[in-house]
Amino acid sequence: MGCGCVLPGGIENTLPEPLTKELGDRLRSVVGDAWVIADADRLLVYESDGLTAYRKTPRAVVLPRDTNEVSCLLGILSQEGVPVVPRGAGTGLSGGALADGDAIVVGTARMTDMLELDPDNRLARVQPGMVNADLTAAAEPFGLYYAPDPSSQSVCTLGGNIAENSGGPHCLKYGVTSRYVTGLTVVTYDGKIVEFGGFGRESGGYDLLGLFVGSEGCFGIATEIEVRLLPKPEGVRTLLAIFDRLGDAGSAVTEIMAEGLLPAALEIIDGPTIRAVEASVFAAGYPTDAEAALVVEFDGIGAGLAADVECAVVRCREAGAREVRIADSAEERRALWRGRKKAFGAMGQIASDLIVQDGTVPRSRLTEVLGQISEIGVRYDLTIANVFHAGDGNLHPNILFDRSDAEELSRVERASTEIMAVCVEAGGTITGEHGVGLDKRRYMSLVHGPDELDAMQRIKSVFDPVGLMNPGKVLPDLPDSEGANV
Amino acid sequence: MNPLAALLSDRLSEAQVVEGSQTACWAVCGQVPQAVVFPENEEQVAEILSLSSAEGWRCVPGGRGSWLHGGQPPQGVDVLVSADRMSDISAYEPADQFIEAQAGAGLDVLEHRTIEFRQWLALDPPGGERGTLGAMVAVGTAGPLQAGFGSPRDQVLGATLVTGDGRVLSLGGRVVKNVAGFDLLKLITGSWGTLGMITSVTMRLHPVPAIDRSLLFKGAELAAGAALARRLAQAPLSLAAVELLVPGDGESGAGASSPLVAVRILESVDAADEAEHIVSEHAGLPPFQRLEGASSAAIFDNVRAMEDGAELVLRLSLLPSRLLELVEMTSRLDGLYDPTAGWGMRLAAHAHTGVLRVMIAKMSRSDAWLERAKATLRNLRRSLEAQGGSLVLSQGPPQIVGAMGAWGESGPTALFNVGIQAAFDPASIFARGPMPR
Repeated sequence: MGCGCVLPGGIENTLPEPLTKELGDRLRSVVGDAWVIADADRLLVYESDGLTAYRKTPRAVVLPRDTNEVSCLLGILSQEGVPVVPRGAGTGLSGGALADGDAIVVGTARMTDMLELDPDNRLARVQPGMVNADLTAAAEPFGLYYAPDPSSQSVCTLGGNIAENSGGPHCLKYGVTSRYVTGLTVVTYDGKIVEFGGFGRESGGYDLLGLFVGSEGCFGIATEIEVRLLPKPEGVRTLLAIFDRLGDAGSAVTEIMAEGLLPAALEIIDGPTIRAVEASVFAAGYPTDAEAALVVEFDGIGAGLAADVECAVVRCREAGAREVRIADSAEERRALWRGRKKAFGAMGQIASDLIVQDGTVPRSRLTEVLGQISEIGVRYDLTIANVFHAGDGNLHPNILFDRSDAEELSRVERASTEIMAVCVEAGGTITGEHGVGLDKRRYMSLVHGPDELDAMQRIKSVFDPVGLMNPGKVLPDLPDSEGANV
Repeated sequence: MNPLAALLSDRLSEAQVVEGSQTACWAVCGQVPQAVVFPENEEQVAEILSLSSAEGWRCVPGGRGSWLHGGQPPQGVDVLVSADRMSDISAYEPADQFIEAQAGAGLDVLEHRTIEFRQWLALDPPGGERGTLGAMVAVGTAGPLQAGFGSPRDQVLGATLVTGDGRVLSLGGRVVKNVAGFDLLKLITGSWGTLGMITSVTMRLHPVPAIDRSLLFKGAELAAGAALARRLAQAPLSLAAVELLVPGDGESGAGASSPLVAVRILESVDAADEAEHIVSEHAGLPPFQRLEGASSAAIFDNVRAMEDGAELVLRLSLLPSRLLELVEMTSRLDGLYDPTAGWGMRLAAHAHTGVLRVMIAKMSRSDAWLERAKATLRNLRRSLEAQGGSLVLSQGPPQIVGAMGAWGESGPTALFNVGIQAAFDPASIFARGPMPR
């Protein structure tokens, strides 16, 4: 467990203050003995999220079953002045679920119910611990599905998706989570239960629902979620284009969009990623001497897809694709996607640790920024493999490293900072879908000035005046009048 | 010159400050401001708002003035700050599908600029193209295209806002995916100028579809029309819009107003034909009229213009599956309008969202009309809220909207709304705020 070392971002993994018997008893009285975890072995699971470079052991983990239990728990914890870290499946990639500051984790692992499925209104109301893909599975018999599809959708939870305003490959056409959330039941830091939004009514006042989505657990815990479902597209057509140069794949993306086409997804994996995939059990048959593979998917009315695919094929070939494969069946489509979907898993073949970076740039700057990232990798002697949502300029440079090598870790830190700066310089931002969490607080001043950060802090204080909700996340420490960080 | 205008004139050129009788056409829900100012950049906006905070003036931000009669009536207006002289397009990148413009840029100007690259702002809020970009975002209202493209909140990528105390906040950016910090843009959209004055906006653009086709299904009576609209909205495909329309008296040819269901298909050439086939089959093959291109767009332009000339505009909501009940509830409003004046009452409902707009040309002015109107609207609001719905008084006589509140009560979230407004406007200078009131 706690190694006592200082990790990236200045987090020290010291042992937390133990849970007192009195507080433990109060928490157990709400959720039952089995659902308060305070022993060291079982807490190991909760010492990091998907960003494993950061580890911090929580004081305890509590697993409530419903809104009322969450309300009681937060009421008790606020009385005791104990910070709270909400946690879904722990798949976040920015350290947002890390329990800094002797916090207690409130997990949603037991809140997995479908509360209401309303095909007539194309709505679902779920608990936050429901897995993203399970919602689509439940809606499928009615010809419906839930559009946002983060790559971790088979394990990540909808509550986590709300916290991060998650995206995914198909958000190019369909938009991110905030477009689909129509209502929330939220428990605030002091246990108060409030409702935001709700389909079928136009609530007066500010868009608290929109504000809450993407607030990374800093405003409260969403305990019931109402989302909009879409009709399943009648047809889907997928093609894979292979390129000898990464820049050519980027040009193909620009050309396809310039045609006025709106693919459901436009995804690129680069040469290092292709070779990692092909060397793994996830081998998808991509040529290992290629420098880019572009997955293009169209969906919608079946009759319109053939012309779209034909146009995209022409644009890919004009941009320099040496080969274009078109899937003719669902099985072939899955095969074309396999390399993209398993890319992160395949990285484990070539390095023990991986930081998945996440920045967004205007699409027209993709090729230029990818070149700069490649140059950063060379300069810091690091392997950087790119897997990204090219259609909306959302880059995921994956930096491979070994965290037991402190010197290499330092290079990873510096390379990450430069990559973020390059994205911002190109007119983009420091995170497109993974959130700020703990990892990117230090980059927030690259995109926001003091007034914007101050405004965010003021708004957080409206919801969490004493700073108990997910402390130490999203907002950077601001210098005080003497220049020291506070 | 009044003292307020004199102080403003110290900071702006003479032509940028209007006072006296010239301010009458800038009345906000009937309340004439002491001065109207026309800043030319965000620094001037910041200076005006800082001064207003120091002097305790009540401000209302505006654009060309097309929404000043709507929303919550303020408790008096001292200064109206118009973005009319801030109308430049500052960046348009067709390859990246975004446009950035000052808040006073007209929607018509944006349309003209982007169509050259076969791109458009896929939004059709009430009021047509004469409004400004800043006003559209500040009001945040969606039109029929919400079904296919979402509302303004889904398409605003970035904005610059000057807060009540003169801070200039740059929010969001130019990219679609952006989760760097709390999403303050969502608060700004639909905030009706109660958090600050929007000075520039960056919007997402969409490619213009190859085919713009509308299918018009004429119904014999309201119940059948509502049922058909719902059936069409449930067709197994994503349609750009499905709108139930009930024209006013004398607007649909001879005889009583009959309902019309308008389906908008925005697709590629091949897909449009297939979509039409799916829609028609799903509806049970009723007869329909097909309009294409400019004629199709014109139908929905008319929908945008349906609020024009209305004295009272309501937005009623329930779950879309209850559209028929919602439409039937409008019979409770029969006594509110003067059937002899103009077109009487029009209805327009978004079949995907369950929002029904009710437009009344002229309210009845019979004895005790005001009290009766308030009682009727209160009862209807109460009834809708009890069923999980809502009633918004989008525009109307100030003595009604002021007494009832445009949005009704916000309940337990009121505390958040007050706190948010204080964070952006510490001196409470924005006269319409905080929302709801």
